[in-house]
Amino acid sequence: MRQVQGTFFSGYVTILVKGNYPELFFQECTKKGITVWNIRKVEQDACEGNVRLKDISHLRLIIRGTHYKLTFINKKGYPFIFNRFIKKRPLLLAIFLSVLLAFFLSNILWKVEITGVPKDIEEKIIKQLDEYGIHRGAWMFSIDQPNLIQQKLVEDVPELLWVGVNQRGTTYSLEGVEKLIVKEEEKQGPRNLIATKKGVIKKMYVAKGLPMVQVNDYVEPGDLLVSGKISSNDQEEESEKEKEKKVNYVAAEGEITAETWYEVKVASPIEYSYEELTGNKETKYYIQIADFKFPVWGFGDPEYEQIHYDTKVSSINFLKWELPIKIVDTVLSEKVSYKGERTKEEAIQTGMEQARSELLLKLGKDAKIMSEKVLHERMENGKVKMNIIFTVEENIARVQPIK
Amino acid sequence: MKKFRQRVQSLLINSFALPSDVILELPRITVIGQIHVYIENHQGLVTYSDTELKLKVNKGYVQIKGNSFVLKMMLPEEILLEGTITDIKFLSN
Repeated sequence: MRQVQGTFFSGYVTILVKGNYPELFFQECTKKGITVWNIRKVEQDACEGNVRLKDISHLRLIIRGTHYKLTFINKKGYPFIFNRFIKKRPLLLAIFLSVLLAFFLSNILWKVEITGVPKDIEEKIIKQLDEYGIHRGAWMFSIDQPNLIQQKLVEDVPELLWVGVNQRGTTYSLEGVEKLIVKEEEKQGPRNLIATKKGVIKKMYVAKGLPMVQVNDYVEPGDLLVSGKISSNDQEEESEKEKEKKVNYVAAEGEITAETWYEVKVASPIEYSYEELTGNKETKYYIQIADFKFPVWGFGDPEYEQIHYDTKVSSINFLKWELPIKIVDTVLSEKVSYKGERTKEEAIQTGMEQARSELLLKLGKDAKIMSEKVLHERMENGKVKMNIIFTVEENIARVQPIK
Repeated sequence: MKKFRQRVQSLLINSFALPSDVILELPRITVIGQIHVYIENHQGLVTYSDTELKLKVNKGYVQIKGNSFVLKMMLPEEILLEGTITDIKFLSN
Protein backbone atom coordinates (compact mmCIF):
# COMPACT_ATOMS: atom_id res chain seq x y z
CA MET A 1 0.00 0.00 0.00
CA ARG A 2 3.07 2.20 0.00
CA GLN A 3 2.08 3.47 -3.43
CA VAL A 4 -1.06 5.11 -2.21
CA GLN A 5 0.44 6.66 0.87
CA GLY A 6 0.41 10.41 0.96
CA THR A 7 -2.18 10.68 -1.76
CA PHE A 8 -4.23 12.87 0.49
CA PHE A 9 -1.62 15.57 0.20
CA SER A 10 -1.13 15.34 -3.52
CA GLY A 11 -4.86 14.98 -4.11
CA TYR A 12 -6.79 12.25 -5.84
CA VAL A 13 -10.02 11.81 -7.77
CA THR A 14 -12.49 9.00 -8.01
CA ILE A 15 -13.35 8.25 -11.60
CA LEU A 16 -16.24 6.31 -13.00
CA VAL A 17 -15.64 4.41 -16.21
CA LYS A 18 -18.58 3.28 -18.31
CA GLY A 19 -18.49 0.88 -21.20
CA ASN A 20 -18.07 -2.81 -21.88
CA TYR A 21 -15.52 -4.43 -19.63
CA PRO A 22 -14.64 -1.25 -17.75
CA GLU A 23 -12.03 -3.11 -15.68
CA LEU A 24 -9.90 -3.42 -18.76
CA PHE A 25 -9.56 0.30 -18.84
CA PHE A 26 -7.90 0.18 -15.44
CA GLN A 27 -5.73 -2.64 -16.66
CA GLU A 28 -4.61 -0.30 -19.42
CA CYS A 29 -3.91 2.41 -16.92
CA THR A 30 -1.64 0.22 -14.78
CA LYS A 31 0.27 -0.82 -17.86
CA LYS A 32 1.00 2.84 -18.53
CA GLY A 33 2.28 3.18 -15.00
CA ILE A 34 -0.70 4.93 -13.46
CA THR A 35 -1.46 3.64 -10.01
CA VAL A 36 -5.13 2.88 -9.49
CA TRP A 37 -6.61 1.83 -6.20
CA ASN A 38 -9.92 1.00 -4.58
CA ILE A 39 -11.40 -0.31 -7.78
CA ARG A 40 -14.99 -1.35 -7.40
CA LYS A 41 -17.38 -2.68 -9.92
CA VAL A 42 -20.57 -0.77 -9.41
CA GLU A 43 -22.54 -2.20 -12.29
CA GLN A 44 -21.98 -4.62 -15.09
CA ASP A 45 -20.73 -1.82 -17.33
CA ALA A 46 -19.48 0.65 -14.77
CA CYS A 47 -16.39 0.65 -12.61
CA GLU A 48 -14.98 3.23 -10.27
CA GLY A 49 -11.49 3.73 -8.95
CA ASN A 50 -9.12 6.30 -7.53
CA VAL A 51 -6.29 7.92 -9.43
CA ARG A 52 -3.83 10.59 -8.49
CA LEU A 53 -4.54 14.15 -9.46
CA LYS A 54 -1.32 14.45 -11.44
CA ASP A 55 -2.16 11.35 -13.50
CA ILE A 56 -5.37 12.79 -14.91
CA SER A 57 -3.70 14.24 -17.99
CA HIS A 58 -2.28 10.76 -18.83
CA LEU A 59 -5.74 9.35 -18.28
CA ARG A 60 -7.16 11.55 -21.00
CA LEU A 61 -4.57 10.24 -23.43
CA ILE A 62 -5.59 6.68 -22.70
CA ILE A 63 -9.30 7.33 -22.98
CA ARG A 64 -8.84 8.84 -26.41
CA GLY A 65 -9.74 6.35 -29.10
CA THR A 66 -11.62 3.96 -26.81
CA HIS A 67 -15.32 3.56 -26.29
CA TYR A 68 -15.12 4.22 -22.54
CA LYS A 69 -16.83 7.16 -20.95
CA LEU A 70 -15.08 8.79 -18.08
CA THR A 71 -16.72 10.84 -15.33
CA PHE A 72 -15.23 12.28 -12.23
CA ILE A 73 -17.37 11.60 -9.25
CA ASN A 74 -15.31 12.70 -6.28
CA LYS A 75 -12.39 14.95 -5.55
CA LYS A 76 -10.40 14.49 -2.40
CA GLY A 77 -7.23 15.70 -0.83
CA TYR A 78 -5.40 18.74 0.20
CA PRO A 79 -5.28 20.61 -3.14
CA PHE A 80 -9.04 20.58 -3.38
CA ILE A 81 -9.52 21.62 0.21
CA PHE A 82 -7.07 24.39 -0.36
CA ASN A 83 -8.86 25.55 -3.49
CA ARG A 84 -12.17 25.50 -1.75
CA PHE A 85 -10.67 27.47 1.06
CA ILE A 86 -9.17 30.03 -1.29
CA LYS A 87 -12.54 30.56 -2.87
CA LYS A 88 -14.06 31.59 0.45
CA ARG A 89 -12.99 35.19 0.36
CA PRO A 90 -14.76 36.40 3.50
CA LEU A 91 -13.23 33.65 5.59
CA LEU A 92 -9.82 34.37 4.22
CA LEU A 93 -10.23 38.04 4.86
CA ALA A 94 -11.39 37.36 8.39
CA ILE A 95 -8.37 35.20 9.11
CA PHE A 96 -6.06 37.79 7.71
CA LEU A 97 -7.73 40.52 9.73
CA SER A 98 -7.62 38.54 12.94
CA VAL A 99 -3.93 37.83 12.51
CA LEU A 100 -3.42 41.49 11.82
CA LEU A 101 -5.41 42.39 14.88
CA ALA A 102 -3.46 40.03 17.11
CA PHE A 103 -0.34 41.50 15.63
CA PHE A 104 -1.55 45.02 16.19
CA LEU A 105 -2.62 44.36 19.74
CA SER A 106 0.63 42.70 20.67
CA ASN A 107 2.48 45.81 19.66
CA ILE A 108 0.49 48.12 21.85
CA LEU A 109 1.46 49.05 25.35
CA TRP A 110 -1.21 47.74 27.64
CA LYS A 111 0.04 48.40 31.08
CA VAL A 112 2.50 50.62 32.87
CA GLU A 113 3.45 49.26 36.23
CA ILE A 114 5.29 51.33 38.75
CA THR A 115 6.55 49.76 41.92
CA GLY A 116 8.72 50.73 44.80
CA VAL A 117 7.84 54.42 45.09
CA PRO A 118 5.17 56.31 47.02
CA LYS A 119 2.02 57.55 45.32
CA ASP A 120 3.09 61.13 44.74
CA ILE A 121 6.28 60.16 42.97
CA GLU A 122 4.36 57.56 41.03
CA GLU A 123 2.10 60.34 39.78
CA LYS A 124 5.11 62.33 38.75
CA ILE A 125 6.59 59.42 36.92
CA ILE A 126 3.32 58.78 35.12
CA LYS A 127 3.18 62.40 34.07
CA GLN A 128 6.75 62.30 32.90
CA LEU A 129 6.16 59.06 31.00
CA ASP A 130 3.16 60.64 29.35
CA GLU A 131 5.45 63.30 28.04
CA TYR A 132 7.70 60.68 26.51
CA GLY A 133 4.63 59.15 24.90
CA ILE A 134 4.47 56.16 27.18
CA HIS A 135 0.93 55.53 28.30
CA ARG A 136 -1.65 52.84 27.94
CA GLY A 137 -2.47 52.32 24.29
CA ALA A 138 0.77 53.72 22.98
CA TRP A 139 2.25 52.22 19.88
CA MET A 140 5.35 50.17 20.73
CA PHE A 141 7.43 51.33 17.83
CA SER A 142 7.20 54.95 18.84
CA ILE A 143 8.64 54.25 22.26
CA ASP A 144 12.31 54.66 22.95
CA GLN A 145 14.45 51.87 24.24
CA PRO A 146 14.00 51.11 27.96
CA ASN A 147 17.52 52.12 28.89
CA LEU A 148 17.04 55.52 27.29
CA ILE A 149 13.84 56.04 29.22
CA GLN A 150 15.64 54.98 32.33
CA GLN A 151 18.24 57.69 31.85
CA LYS A 152 15.69 60.34 30.98
CA LEU A 153 13.49 59.52 33.94
CA VAL A 154 16.30 59.76 36.42
CA GLU A 155 17.23 63.13 34.96
CA ASP A 156 13.72 64.50 34.85
CA VAL A 157 12.37 63.24 38.14
CA PRO A 158 14.79 64.54 40.74
CA GLU A 159 13.24 62.47 43.52
CA LEU A 160 14.33 59.29 41.87
CA LEU A 161 17.61 57.77 42.81
CA TRP A 162 17.36 54.95 40.36
CA VAL A 163 14.71 53.50 38.16
CA GLY A 164 14.71 50.18 36.39
CA VAL A 165 12.66 50.10 33.23
CA ASN A 166 11.73 46.73 31.93
CA GLN A 167 9.61 45.84 28.99
CA ARG A 168 7.87 42.53 29.30
CA GLY A 169 5.70 41.95 26.29
CA THR A 170 2.98 44.54 26.36
CA THR A 171 3.77 45.64 29.89
CA TYR A 172 6.17 48.30 30.94
CA SER A 173 7.28 47.77 34.47
CA LEU A 174 9.19 50.41 36.29
CA GLU A 175 10.88 49.82 39.56
CA GLY A 176 11.87 52.98 41.28
CA VAL A 177 14.05 53.76 44.21
CA GLU A 178 13.31 57.02 45.93
CA LYS A 179 16.08 59.37 46.77
CA LEU A 180 15.95 59.77 50.49
CA ILE A 181 17.71 62.68 52.05
CA VAL A 182 19.40 60.76 54.74
CA LYS A 183 20.26 62.81 57.75
CA GLU A 184 23.72 62.27 58.99
CA GLU A 185 23.88 59.60 61.51
CA GLU A 186 23.01 60.99 64.87
CA LYS A 187 25.45 58.92 66.73
CA GLN A 188 28.88 59.03 65.32
CA GLY A 189 31.77 57.21 66.75
CA PRO A 190 34.81 59.11 67.91
CA ARG A 191 36.96 60.16 65.05
CA ASN A 192 39.87 62.32 63.98
CA LEU A 193 40.38 64.38 60.89
CA ILE A 194 43.58 63.68 59.03
CA ALA A 195 45.20 65.17 55.98
CA THR A 196 44.88 63.47 52.64
CA LYS A 197 47.40 65.56 50.77
CA LYS A 198 50.45 67.56 51.50
CA GLY A 199 49.92 71.27 51.62
CA VAL A 200 50.00 74.45 53.57
CA ILE A 201 46.93 75.14 55.65
CA LYS A 202 45.16 78.33 54.69
CA LYS A 203 41.88 78.25 56.49
CA MET A 204 40.52 76.21 59.35
CA TYR A 205 37.03 75.79 60.51
CA VAL A 206 36.66 73.28 63.30
CA ALA A 207 33.17 72.52 64.49
CA LYS A 208 34.07 69.79 66.92
CA GLY A 209 37.31 68.46 68.15
CA LEU A 210 40.69 69.73 69.10
CA PRO A 211 42.71 71.39 66.32
CA MET A 212 46.23 70.04 66.19
CA VAL A 213 47.61 72.30 63.46
CA GLN A 214 47.54 75.99 62.72
CA VAL A 215 47.16 78.15 59.68
CA ASN A 216 50.33 78.22 57.57
CA ASP A 217 51.45 74.84 58.90
CA TYR A 218 52.79 72.41 56.37
CA VAL A 219 51.16 69.01 56.56
CA GLU A 220 51.94 65.66 54.98
CA PRO A 221 49.29 63.09 54.08
CA GLY A 222 48.15 61.21 57.18
CA ASP A 223 48.98 64.03 59.60
CA LEU A 224 46.49 64.59 62.35
CA LEU A 225 44.53 67.79 61.76
CA VAL A 226 41.74 67.72 64.27
CA SER A 227 41.76 65.31 67.15
CA GLY A 228 38.62 63.76 68.49
CA LYS A 229 40.25 63.16 71.82
CA ILE A 230 39.57 66.00 74.22
CA SER A 231 40.97 66.08 77.69
CA SER A 232 39.46 68.48 80.15
CA ASN A 233 42.07 71.08 80.98
CA ASP A 234 40.42 72.84 83.89
CA GLN A 235 41.74 70.51 86.53
CA GLU A 236 45.37 70.46 85.73
CA GLU A 237 46.46 69.37 89.10
CA GLU A 238 44.87 65.99 88.78
CA SER A 239 47.10 63.06 88.46
CA GLU A 240 47.96 61.52 85.17
CA LYS A 241 45.87 58.48 85.86
CA GLU A 242 42.75 60.41 86.58
CA LYS A 243 43.37 62.52 83.56
CA GLU A 244 43.21 59.49 81.45
CA LYS A 245 39.76 58.75 82.77
CA LYS A 246 38.51 62.23 82.00
CA VAL A 247 39.37 62.00 78.35
CA ASN A 248 36.39 62.59 76.15
CA TYR A 249 36.06 61.29 72.68
CA VAL A 250 34.10 63.24 70.11
CA ALA A 251 33.48 62.97 66.43
CA ALA A 252 35.73 65.63 65.02
CA GLU A 253 34.11 67.78 62.44
CA GLY A 254 35.44 70.59 60.37
CA GLU A 255 36.86 71.87 57.19
CA ILE A 256 40.53 72.34 56.68
CA THR A 257 41.38 74.22 53.54
CA ALA A 258 44.92 73.95 52.42
CA GLU A 259 46.99 75.08 49.54
CA THR A 260 48.12 72.16 47.43
CA TRP A 261 50.17 71.87 44.29
CA TYR A 262 49.71 69.87 41.19
CA GLU A 263 51.91 69.45 38.20
CA VAL A 264 49.97 68.74 35.04
CA LYS A 265 51.41 67.68 31.72
CA VAL A 266 49.44 68.55 28.63
CA ALA A 267 50.03 68.31 24.92
CA SER A 268 48.12 70.62 22.67
CA PRO A 269 48.29 70.06 18.91
CA ILE A 270 48.82 72.94 16.52
CA GLU A 271 46.55 71.30 13.99
CA TYR A 272 43.15 70.35 15.12
CA SER A 273 40.05 68.83 13.65
CA TYR A 274 36.47 68.47 14.69
CA GLU A 275 33.21 67.23 13.26
CA GLU A 276 29.92 68.99 13.03
CA LEU A 277 26.49 67.91 11.86
CA THR A 278 25.07 70.20 9.23
CA GLY A 279 21.46 69.43 10.07
CA ASN A 280 20.74 67.73 6.77
CA LYS A 281 19.45 64.30 7.42
CA GLU A 282 17.55 61.48 5.87
CA THR A 283 15.77 58.57 7.47
CA LYS A 284 15.77 55.07 6.09
CA TYR A 285 13.58 52.24 7.17
CA TYR A 286 14.46 48.60 6.89
CA ILE A 287 12.85 45.34 7.80
CA GLN A 288 15.49 43.11 9.26
CA ILE A 289 15.10 39.37 9.08
CA ALA A 290 17.98 37.66 10.80
CA ASP A 291 21.00 39.43 9.34
CA PHE A 292 19.34 40.51 6.15
CA LYS A 293 18.08 44.06 5.91
CA PHE A 294 15.32 44.75 3.48
CA PRO A 295 14.84 48.43 2.66
CA VAL A 296 11.28 49.64 2.96
CA TRP A 297 11.57 53.36 2.76
CA GLY A 298 14.38 55.64 1.72
CA PHE A 299 16.27 54.21 -1.22
CA GLY A 300 19.61 55.32 -2.46
CA ASP A 301 22.28 57.02 -0.44
CA PRO A 302 22.14 60.74 0.08
CA GLU A 303 24.94 62.68 -1.50
CA TYR A 304 26.66 63.55 1.71
CA GLU A 305 30.38 63.40 1.83
CA GLN A 306 30.49 62.16 5.34
CA ILE A 307 27.65 60.47 7.11
CA HIS A 308 26.88 59.91 10.72
CA TYR A 309 24.68 56.87 11.24
CA ASP A 310 22.21 56.61 14.04
CA THR A 311 20.34 53.32 14.09
CA LYS A 312 17.38 52.29 16.16
CA VAL A 313 16.13 48.72 16.14
CA SER A 314 12.64 47.90 17.35
CA SER A 315 11.42 44.36 17.44
CA ILE A 316 7.94 43.20 16.57
CA ASN A 317 5.94 41.03 18.90
CA PHE A 318 3.33 38.51 18.11
CA LEU A 319 1.34 37.54 21.17
CA LYS A 320 4.07 36.77 23.67
CA TRP A 321 6.83 35.97 21.23
CA GLU A 322 9.32 38.30 19.78
CA LEU A 323 9.40 37.82 16.05
CA PRO A 324 12.73 37.48 14.30
CA ILE A 325 11.63 40.38 12.15
CA LYS A 326 12.78 43.76 13.27
CA ILE A 327 12.13 47.26 12.10
CA VAL A 328 15.26 49.28 11.75
CA ASP A 329 15.31 52.96 11.19
CA THR A 330 18.55 54.64 10.42
CA VAL A 331 19.04 58.36 10.45
CA LEU A 332 21.78 59.46 8.14
CA SER A 333 23.03 62.88 9.10
CA GLU A 334 25.46 64.85 7.07
CA LYS A 335 28.59 65.73 8.91
CA VAL A 336 31.39 68.03 8.04
CA SER A 337 34.80 67.80 9.52
CA TYR A 338 36.82 70.91 9.93
CA LYS A 339 40.54 71.22 10.17
CA GLY A 340 42.30 74.21 11.47
CA GLU A 341 45.64 75.45 12.60
CA ARG A 342 46.38 77.39 15.71
CA THR A 343 49.21 79.68 16.50
CA LYS A 344 51.50 78.62 19.28
CA GLU A 345 49.88 81.08 21.67
CA GLU A 346 46.44 79.73 20.90
CA ALA A 347 47.68 76.19 21.38
CA ILE A 348 49.08 77.13 24.76
CA GLN A 349 45.79 78.76 25.65
CA THR A 350 43.75 75.69 24.81
CA GLY A 351 46.28 73.48 26.56
CA MET A 352 45.94 75.54 29.70
CA GLU A 353 42.19 75.45 29.43
CA GLN A 354 42.27 71.71 29.06
CA ALA A 355 44.62 71.23 31.98
CA ARG A 356 42.45 73.44 34.19
CA SER A 357 39.24 71.64 33.42
CA GLU A 358 40.92 68.27 33.80
CA LEU A 359 42.28 69.19 37.19
CA LEU A 360 38.98 70.56 38.43
CA LEU A 361 37.23 67.46 37.23
CA LYS A 362 39.64 65.39 39.26
CA LEU A 363 39.43 67.45 42.42
CA GLY A 364 35.74 68.15 42.55
CA LYS A 365 33.81 71.36 42.65
CA ASP A 366 35.07 72.54 46.03
CA ALA A 367 38.56 73.09 44.78
CA LYS A 368 39.66 76.51 43.64
CA ILE A 369 42.60 77.22 41.41
CA MET A 370 44.58 80.04 42.94
CA SER A 371 47.44 80.39 40.51
CA GLU A 372 49.03 78.62 37.63
CA LYS A 373 52.46 78.68 36.14
CA VAL A 374 53.90 77.15 33.02
CA LEU A 375 57.12 75.50 34.07
CA HIS A 376 58.25 74.26 30.75
CA GLU A 377 57.04 74.28 27.19
CA ARG A 378 58.39 72.84 24.00
CA MET A 379 57.30 72.12 20.44
CA GLU A 380 57.36 68.48 19.45
CA ASN A 381 55.76 66.72 16.46
CA GLY A 382 53.37 69.55 15.82
CA LYS A 383 52.31 69.72 19.42
CA VAL A 384 53.03 72.07 22.20
CA LYS A 385 53.94 70.12 25.29
CA MET A 386 53.68 71.88 28.60
CA ASN A 387 54.26 71.23 32.24
CA ILE A 388 52.03 73.43 34.32
CA ILE A 389 52.00 73.80 38.04
CA PHE A 390 48.76 74.73 39.69
CA THR A 391 48.22 76.02 43.16
CA VAL A 392 44.87 74.93 44.44
CA GLU A 393 42.93 75.54 47.59
CA GLU A 394 40.86 72.59 48.69
CA ASN A 395 39.57 70.71 51.65
CA ILE A 396 42.12 68.10 52.62
CA ALA A 397 40.44 66.72 55.73
CA ARG A 398 39.42 63.13 55.89
CA VAL A 399 37.66 61.24 58.64
CA GLN A 400 39.54 58.60 60.54
CA PRO A 401 37.74 56.75 63.29
CA ILE A 402 39.45 56.35 66.64
CA LYS A 403 39.61 52.78 67.75
CA MET B 1 16.63 -27.02 -26.27
CA LYS B 2 13.50 -26.81 -24.23
CA LYS B 3 14.56 -29.77 -22.18
CA PHE B 4 17.90 -28.18 -21.57
CA ARG B 5 16.23 -25.02 -20.32
CA GLN B 6 13.99 -26.97 -17.99
CA ARG B 7 16.97 -28.80 -16.59
CA VAL B 8 18.85 -25.57 -16.00
CA GLN B 9 15.83 -24.11 -14.28
CA SER B 10 15.35 -27.02 -11.93
CA LEU B 11 19.10 -26.96 -11.23
CA LEU B 12 18.92 -23.31 -10.30
CA ILE B 13 15.94 -23.88 -8.04
CA ASN B 14 17.34 -26.92 -6.33
CA SER B 15 20.99 -26.08 -5.91
CA PHE B 16 20.94 -22.30 -5.57
CA ALA B 17 17.68 -22.04 -3.62
CA LEU B 18 16.38 -19.33 -5.92
CA PRO B 19 12.66 -18.66 -5.58
CA SER B 20 10.69 -20.66 -8.10
CA ASP B 21 8.31 -17.86 -9.03
CA VAL B 22 11.17 -15.77 -10.37
CA ILE B 23 12.76 -18.53 -12.37
CA LEU B 24 9.60 -20.03 -13.80
CA GLU B 25 7.66 -16.78 -14.24
CA LEU B 26 4.84 -18.16 -12.17
CA PRO B 27 2.45 -16.04 -10.17
CA ARG B 28 3.04 -15.69 -6.44
CA ILE B 29 -0.26 -15.64 -4.65
CA THR B 30 -0.42 -14.62 -1.05
CA VAL B 31 -3.70 -15.22 0.72
CA ILE B 32 -4.42 -13.65 4.05
CA GLY B 33 -7.25 -15.51 5.67
CA GLN B 34 -10.39 -15.02 3.71
CA ILE B 35 -10.05 -11.31 3.24
CA HIS B 36 -7.00 -10.53 1.12
CA VAL B 37 -5.36 -12.00 -1.92
CA TYR B 38 -2.15 -10.58 -3.20
CA ILE B 39 -1.15 -11.72 -6.68
CA GLU B 40 2.25 -10.87 -8.08
CA ASN B 41 3.70 -11.62 -11.42
CA HIS B 42 0.43 -11.90 -13.32
CA GLN B 43 0.11 -11.01 -16.94
CA GLY B 44 -3.07 -9.05 -17.06
CA LEU B 45 -6.60 -8.76 -15.85
CA VAL B 46 -9.20 -10.62 -17.82
CA THR B 47 -12.43 -10.18 -15.94
CA TYR B 48 -13.25 -8.38 -12.78
CA SER B 49 -16.59 -8.05 -11.10
CA ASP B 50 -18.03 -7.89 -7.62
CA THR B 51 -17.80 -11.66 -7.24
CA GLU B 52 -15.06 -12.78 -9.58
CA LEU B 53 -11.51 -11.93 -10.55
CA LYS B 54 -9.74 -13.65 -13.40
CA LEU B 55 -6.11 -13.00 -14.15
CA LYS B 56 -3.94 -14.22 -16.94
CA VAL B 57 -0.80 -15.95 -15.75
CA ASN B 58 1.91 -17.95 -17.43
CA LYS B 59 0.18 -20.91 -19.14
CA GLY B 60 -3.37 -20.32 -17.99
CA TYR B 61 -5.56 -18.26 -15.70
CA VAL B 62 -6.16 -17.80 -12.02
CA GLN B 63 -9.77 -17.44 -11.04
CA ILE B 64 -10.73 -16.12 -7.63
CA LYS B 65 -14.32 -16.22 -6.49
CA GLY B 66 -16.08 -14.68 -3.58
CA ASN B 67 -18.12 -11.58 -2.93
CA SER B 68 -17.85 -7.82 -2.33
CA PHE B 69 -14.56 -7.63 -4.19
CA VAL B 70 -12.59 -4.44 -4.25
CA LEU B 71 -9.26 -4.05 -6.00
CA LYS B 72 -7.37 -2.29 -3.27
CA MET B 73 -4.41 -1.58 -5.48
CA MET B 74 -3.38 -2.18 -9.02
CA LEU B 75 0.21 -2.01 -10.19
CA PRO B 76 1.60 -3.26 -13.51
CA GLU B 77 2.19 -6.82 -12.29
CA GLU B 78 0.57 -6.86 -8.89
CA ILE B 79 -2.97 -6.83 -7.67
CA LEU B 80 -4.28 -6.63 -4.14
CA LEU B 81 -7.80 -7.94 -3.84
CA GLU B 82 -10.02 -7.40 -0.86
CA GLY B 83 -13.31 -9.08 -0.12
CA THR B 84 -14.60 -12.40 1.09
CA ILE B 85 -12.79 -15.12 -0.81
CA THR B 86 -14.39 -18.48 -1.31
CA ASP B 87 -12.21 -20.19 -3.93
CA ILE B 88 -9.01 -19.82 -5.87
CA LYS B 89 -8.84 -21.89 -9.02
CA PHE B 90 -6.14 -22.51 -11.63
CA LEU B 91 -7.53 -22.85 -15.12
CA SER B 92 -5.40 -24.10 -17.92
CA ASN B 93 -5.73 -22.72 -21.43
